[in-house]
Amino acid sequence: MSSNVRTKAFHIRFGLRAKLLLLSSFLFVIPWFGYQYVWEMEKYLRFGQEQTLVGTARALATALHERKNLFNNQASFLPNVEQGKDLYGYQLTEAIQLDGLHQDWPNFSQRAHFYDRHQQLFSDKVPSLNFKASVGKYDKYLYLFFQVVDNKLVFRGKNSRSITQNDHLALSFTDQNNQLNRFIISNKQSGWISAFTVIDSTETMPIPAPHIQGHWRVTPQGYNIELRVPLEALGEKIAFAFYDVDVSGDNPNSAIGSADPSQQESLGTIVVPSPEIERIVNGMRYTNSSIWVVDQHHRVLASAGSLKQAGGVWQSKNELKSSNASNNLWYQFKQQVLLPLYYQVLTKPPTDFIDKIYDARHLNGAHIVSALSGNAKSQWRLTTDKQALVLSAAYPIYIDNNVQGAVIVEETTNGIRTLRNRALEKLFSVILAIMILGAFTFIIFATRISARIRDLSNQAEHAIDKQGRIIGKMVASTSNDEIGDLSRSFTTAVNRLSEYNHYLENMSSRLSHELRTPIAVVKTSLENLALLEKQRITSNKDCQESPYIERAQTGINTLNLILTNMSEATRLEQMLASTEKIEFDLKTVVSGCIAGYQQVFSEMTFILKTELNALPFYGSPEHIVQLLDKVINNAVEFSQDKIITLALNQHNQEVELLVSNNGRLLPEQLNESLFDSMVSLRAPQASLNKQQTQPHLGLGLYIARLICHFHHGTISATNHYSPDGVTLRIGLPTKV
Amino acid sequence: MSKRIAIVEDEAAIRENYADVLRSQGYQVQTYADKESATQAFKLRLPHLVILDIGLNEDYDGGFVLCQQLRAKSASLPIIFLTARDNDFDTVSGLRIGADDYLTKDISLPHLTARISALFRRQEAFKLPVSEEHITQTGRLTLDSQRMTISWKSQPIDLTITEFWLVHALAKHPGHVKNRNQLMTDSKIYVDDSTITSHIKRIRKKFIKTDANFGCIETVYGMGYRWLNPTDTMSSHV
Repeated sequence: MSSNVRTKAFHIRFGLRAKLLLLSSFLFVIPWFGYQYVWEMEKYLRFGQEQTLVGTARALATALHERKNLFNNQASFLPNVEQGKDLYGYQLTEAIQLDGLHQDWPNFSQRAHFYDRHQQLFSDKVPSLNFKASVGKYDKYLYLFFQVVDNKLVFRGKNSRSITQNDHLALSFTDQNNQLNRFIISNKQSGWISAFTVIDSTETMPIPAPHIQGHWRVTPQGYNIELRVPLEALGEKIAFAFYDVDVSGDNPNSAIGSADPSQQESLGTIVVPSPEIERIVNGMRYTNSSIWVVDQHHRVLASAGSLKQAGGVWQSKNELKSSNASNNLWYQFKQQVLLPLYYQVLTKPPTDFIDKIYDARHLNGAHIVSALSGNAKSQWRLTTDKQALVLSAAYPIYIDNNVQGAVIVEETTNGIRTLRNRALEKLFSVILAIMILGAFTFIIFATRISARIRDLSNQAEHAIDKQGRIIGKMVASTSNDEIGDLSRSFTTAVNRLSEYNHYLENMSSRLSHELRTPIAVVKTSLENLALLEKQRITSNKDCQESPYIERAQTGINTLNLILTNMSEATRLEQMLASTEKIEFDLKTVVSGCIAGYQQVFSEMTFILKTELNALPFYGSPEHIVQLLDKVINNAVEFSQDKIITLALNQHNQEVELLVSNNGRLLPEQLNESLFDSMVSLRAPQASLNKQQTQPHLGLGLYIARLICHFHHGTISATNHYSPDGVTLRIGLPTKV
Repeated sequence: MSKRIAIVEDEAAIRENYADVLRSQGYQVQTYADKESATQAFKLRLPHLVILDIGLNEDYDGGFVLCQQLRAKSASLPIIFLTARDNDFDTVSGLRIGADDYLTKDISLPHLTARISALFRRQEAFKLPVSEEHITQTGRLTLDSQRMTISWKSQPIDLTITEFWLVHALAKHPGHVKNRNQLMTDSKIYVDDSTITSHIKRIRKKFIKTDANFGCIETVYGMGYRWLNPTDTMSSHV
């Protein structure tokens, strides 16, 4: 048993607890499953959202099908639109002040279109003029802003009748009845603009057109013109052009514009967000979606909702919780400890993201292209800053079996993500609780089990000593499980072993006891016989004394002696149990004994090495003497040079007695068992050589050990070399 | 009139062997194999001396019971335990319940008969007046070799025959060391060393019961024992 333990100690211990923990780590699969499940759920929710979104787009498109009047015919039926010529009026969100400054135009620099010599209407020479134009719609007016760069600004002469022999703006548009109206803005000075209706006959006086209002502002580069036209006067076609005059009174030397304003055919189209469509679309804005309606040229006709609020149908339930139980301890703990932990793993859907994929005027994307070719389509995309995932669905609008536009509905997945996060938070909390509880239970259980097993193993190890003797009793466990069974069977085994050991240890004594009676029979019979023989000899002088009786008596005496020796150990044990310890001087005892041995073994030399004068010791002197008898007997027998050396020392609280003799070495494997009952090392020839005066039963050192143990001491034998021999070491504690 | 000796012993061969020897010595011997027959016989008539075995067939303590019964009937009847049990416990028990001696079966027959005759002699001696010639005085110790009694400081000390012989052997030559073999020869027993040790211990205890300061039996470690008279102790210390 002990050797097993020793070899096991060299390996890394992989205990029961570790194994159980390893096995319980399979529990980690459960949160993984939960996590997978939530992801799966999100997938379905997204799919559902996609369907809902397409449904929303279809519903809206259904409302717009076959409503021709909602669409701008002119623009819509064009095969293509030309940048700069076909204009788009942005929906302005705030009123514009007509002051010639573009600060109140949102995103002016991006939305404005740049016109230069490429848009030259007639060319005498390279024009010294270019401009930027932006168009917007607010309330019932169409606003136009021009930022003109001109090397030389020429106002209309104060007395000039002509309105064209100076820098001027020509603006033409059709009215609702598709009649061309031409206007010229020609100012005498900066300030409010002077707009004139142009009639084809050049002779007549220019007629002012007061419904066109605006402001002409001179700038270091040239001039700005900001004007507005009431929408009711405006049709679907428009064109504007700047005429540059460098010398006052001259005819314009060049003109740059969106189209030739003089010919109705050449006019470009204008699209402004349609109020009718917007009304319809506005009805859909409660769907938590961002909705756009585009014409077939991808131009936005109406829009509603903001993508930032478009979290989908799942969003509405979001904000309910927070005010509910903010003082709750669990809520506090969750907010301060758990959530920060979870959001190491989870990502919060961003409320603040930037999406610039769409120009407010012009929408692009594969889904729109697909929708405009007649196929409804939905697609996933990231916002331009890659913060949020956007789902967009496009659905075509049919008029006369032709696709005239498309409805685009967009939502972020924020709603679903929030929902998913909440599900995961809950899952994590539950899992965390289960894991902590489970791990705790497991650890307690495993600790208990391993403690019990360790306890059992300790008990088993302590019950049996290195020599395999039973030195203690085991306490049987009362628990009704496998370990309890193990403990009980261990206890039974140890008890049986103990009984068997006891039987073995007492065997010599029992044997001697059993043999004593028959020997007594033989002995008494022999003695009687001897008496008879003696009487016969005394009565009859002729008779010779028979030697047989005497021989038989010698034999029986030896046998008797053997029996006495055999039971000596048992008798000693019984005696020790009732022996009282007394205080005595160990040194006197030892030196006295040595003097005695010197007399008994006259041919031996005993040397006692000690520096002690007196050695007070608490114990049984008679038994110490018996111990010395056995040890010295042993040493004398194995001594070759007839010298026995004894050393008596005191270390701390232990008396050390060394008895050395030179002679045969001990075989290594017998070192421990040397002190066991019935173990003898005497060589066969040695016992043959000597006349068997004392029988050897291997009990001498066993008795020595019994006495040592009675004094709570130890006895051991070691070999010493050059000269070879054996040293017996007896260690006796002075204080117990 | 020859003395009547009763032997209670379950082992027939031993019983008869002892009986033969004792008969040859001129004693009348009655033998009993078990407790019941012995009890019956003792009810009718008590013998002059009883030799008891402790274990009688199935009766593990039959000898002890018999001894108690006999001692109740007669305080002076010599009782000897002759048994195979050689442990200290049984010895002490046997002597405590009133046996005059406790012998193991490995005792030789001459030793046994010597004891028996010594016991009878002692019994006889009590009937005679104390004769001065048998009295030995050593220090505080008074030995009466005829009655086989010992007094310490004039207080009688109750000893068994074996114990008397041991004390006698020691006190005969105060200051001389007697080794165990010599003591065994003198006390007519043949036992191992530890039995001698326990005999000496018992003797010491008996003396100490009378005189708590008794220390006249000295152990000479490795050699044996010797009797020290207080004056000798003094001188040896000096």
